[in-house]
Amino acid sequence: MPVLRLALHFIRRDLRNRYLGSFSGGLWALLQPLAQLAVYSFVFVYVFKAKVPGSDAPGYVPFLALALWPWNAFAEGLSRATTAIQDNAALIQKVAMPREVLIFAAVAASFLVQGIGFLAIIVALFAFGVPIDPFGIPLVALAYVQLFALALGIAFVFAAVQVFVRDLSAALPQLLMIWMFASPVFYARESLPEAYRSWMALNPFTHYPEFIRGALLHTPAPSLAGDAIALASSLAVLAIGWVVFRRLDPHFENFL
Amino acid sequence: MSSVLVEARGLGKSYPLVFRARDRLRALWRLLVGHRDADSIAVLRDVSLRVERGQSLGLIGENGAGKSTLLKLLTGVLTPSAGSVKVDGRVGALLELGAGFHPDYSGRDNIALSAALYGLSAEETRAKLPEIVAFADIGRYIDEPVKHYSSGMTVRLGFAIVAALKPDLLITDEVLAVGDEAFQKKCVRWMEEYLSGGGTLILVSHSMYHVQKLCRQAIWLRAGQVAASGDVFAVTQAYLAYQESKSAPSTPASAQNLEFHMLDLAINGSTTDVPVQVETGDAVHVRARVRSREGRPPVMLVGIARMDGTPIYGVSTEMDGVFPVRENTDVFALDIEFDRLPLLPGAYVIKVHPLDSEGVRLFDTIERGLTVRGASREFGMVRLAHNWGKSDEGAMDRKVTGQ
Repeated sequence: MPVLRLALHFIRRDLRNRYLGSFSGGLWALLQPLAQLAVYSFVFVYVFKAKVPGSDAPGYVPFLALALWPWNAFAEGLSRATTAIQDNAALIQKVAMPREVLIFAAVAASFLVQGIGFLAIIVALFAFGVPIDPFGIPLVALAYVQLFALALGIAFVFAAVQVFVRDLSAALPQLLMIWMFASPVFYARESLPEAYRSWMALNPFTHYPEFIRGALLHTPAPSLAGDAIALASSLAVLAIGWVVFRRLDPHFENFL
Repeated sequence: MSSVLVEARGLGKSYPLVFRARDRLRALWRLLVGHRDADSIAVLRDVSLRVERGQSLGLIGENGAGKSTLLKLLTGVLTPSAGSVKVDGRVGALLELGAGFHPDYSGRDNIALSAALYGLSAEETRAKLPEIVAFADIGRYIDEPVKHYSSGMTVRLGFAIVAALKPDLLITDEVLAVGDEAFQKKCVRWMEEYLSGGGTLILVSHSMYHVQKLCRQAIWLRAGQVAASGDVFAVTQAYLAYQESKSAPSTPASAQNLEFHMLDLAINGSTTDVPVQVETGDAVHVRARVRSREGRPPVMLVGIARMDGTPIYGVSTEMDGVFPVRENTDVFALDIEFDRLPLLPGAYVIKVHPLDSEGVRLFDTIERGLTVRGASREFGMVRLAHNWGKSDEGAMDRKVTGQ
C-alpha cells in the first residue's frame, strides 16, 4: 500500500511538472497530438494522396487517430522512463525508496495523459459521424492496459541500462522514430509488399493499432490466437523487465 | 523491554572501479549474467553493530573513515556488498543539508514528498502539515521553492519533518549546527524528549562533547573498519588519544617558529581534549606551559569565555604583577587557581595566551572546554555575591489567602 501511495505521489508530481508554468496547462496534452494528426493527415491525404487499404470507408483521419494516441503514450512513456533513474539520482542517492516506483510513475503518467486524449478523440470522431462501434471501447481499454504492461516491461530494461550506458537516451529518439515507421501507425499491414507482411508480427507494437482499429472500425483485426500471443508476450516482457531491473537495482548507486 | 532495533553483521561496501564507458558496459554485462564485479575498492569492511531500542550510539572517525557510508547502509540508501543489515522499525534520517528535497518545489511539496517516502497517506500528511509548518517556523518561505532557502531554513524544514514523523530510529549528524540558537535549543529539547520517550538515536559527530552528551555507546571507524566500540567515554578517549599522537609530530614544526608557543594546558590535572566537568563553586586549577624561542620570559593571559566567545573574565600575569616560572632555559610555566568558581551551569572555554615580554603582542592560543554542572535556577553566567534586605516570612501564604 505505501508503495502504491508513493507511486500516486510521483504520478501527480509528473503531471504537475509537465504543465507547470505553461498557460494552457493540461490542454497541451490534447493540442499536441491534434496538431500531429492535422499535419500527418494533410501530408498523407493531400500531398502523397495515400491509398490506405482498409481505411477507405471511414477515411484516413480516424484510421491514423486510433493508432497515433496509443503510439504517443507508448513512445512518451518509454522516453520519460528511460531517464527516470538518472533524473532522480539526487533523490535515490539520499533517500531509501523503491526505485521501480519512478519507472512506474513515468510510464503511468504518459498513459494517463494520452489515454484521456485518446478517449476525447474517440468521442469527437463519434460525434462527427465516423462509424465507431461504442461496444468496442471496453475492448480498447483492455488493450490499452495491456500496452501499458508492455511499455512498463521495456521501460524497466531501458531505465536500468541507461544507468550504466548513457548512450541509450541519446539513441532513443531515433530508435522510436524507426519503430513508429516500422509499426502500422500510418499504414495498414496490407499496404506492405506481401513478402514483408509476416515480419510485422515480430514488432510487439503491431498488435495494438490493428486490434484497436478492428474493435472500433471493424477493419481486419488480429485473430484470437494473435490476441493470445500478444497478451502472453506483453506479460513476458513485463516479467523479464522486472527481473532485469531487480538484478541491476542494487548496483545503480555505483554507476550514477 | 530491550529488543534489537538495528543489527548489522559483517557489513561491507565496495565501489567498482569504472573510469571509461567501456568499463560500464562490461560491468553491466557481468551483473546481468550474474558475476560479481571484480575490480572494486572497499570503503567499509566487516562492520558489525547492534543497537537496542532506546539506546543511543555515537559514530566517530576522521573524514573518509566510512561514517556516511555506514549510515547510508543502515538507512537502506545503499546496498551492502557484503554482510547484512536488519532494521526493525521506521527510520528518520537527517543527514546532509537538504537531502531528499527537490530544489524546484516549495516547502509544502517537499513535505508531501518526504511524507510519501515515509509511507504516510495523504490524510495523515494533511493532519501533520500544520505541526510541521509551525515547527519549521520559516514564515512565507514555506510556499517558496527550496532553492531560495538559506541553509538554516533548509535544516529547519528537514528537522520539522523528522520531528513530526516520530521515527523509531533517528539518524543524524551535525547539520543541526547550521540552525540559529533559538532553533538549536528547540531541536535539543525535542531530542531530549525523543530520547526520554524511548527513541533510538544514531549520531555522527566530530564534536566529542555532543557525542558524550547524547550517546552512551560509541563506535570509532578508522579506514572503513571498526577501531573501537563500546562505552562512549572509553571510545572517545581512545579516538582523541589517537588524534593527538597523529598530530603531535607536526605541531612543533609549524609552531616552533612562533616566538612564544603554548606547549600544554592542564585543568584540574587533566590534559585531554575532553571538556573538564566541575560544579558551581568548585575550585579550578589551571596550569599551562609555554616555550619561548629566545628564552625571554612571556606575559601570560588567562581567560574564561562562554561557548560562543563572549568573554567573561580575563587576567594577565603583568596586571597582577606576577611572573611565569622558568622551568628550564626556554620553558615557562603558569599556575593559577580560581577557588570557588562562581560560574553558573553551562558550557565555557578556558583560554591561555602567551604575550611578548612587553605584554603587547599576542602569539598563541590554547583552550579547553569547561562544563559547569549544577542544579541552580539562577539566571545569567555568574553568581554575583548578594544579600537580600529584610525578608517577610510567609508572604506567599498571605498573598494566596488575600485573593
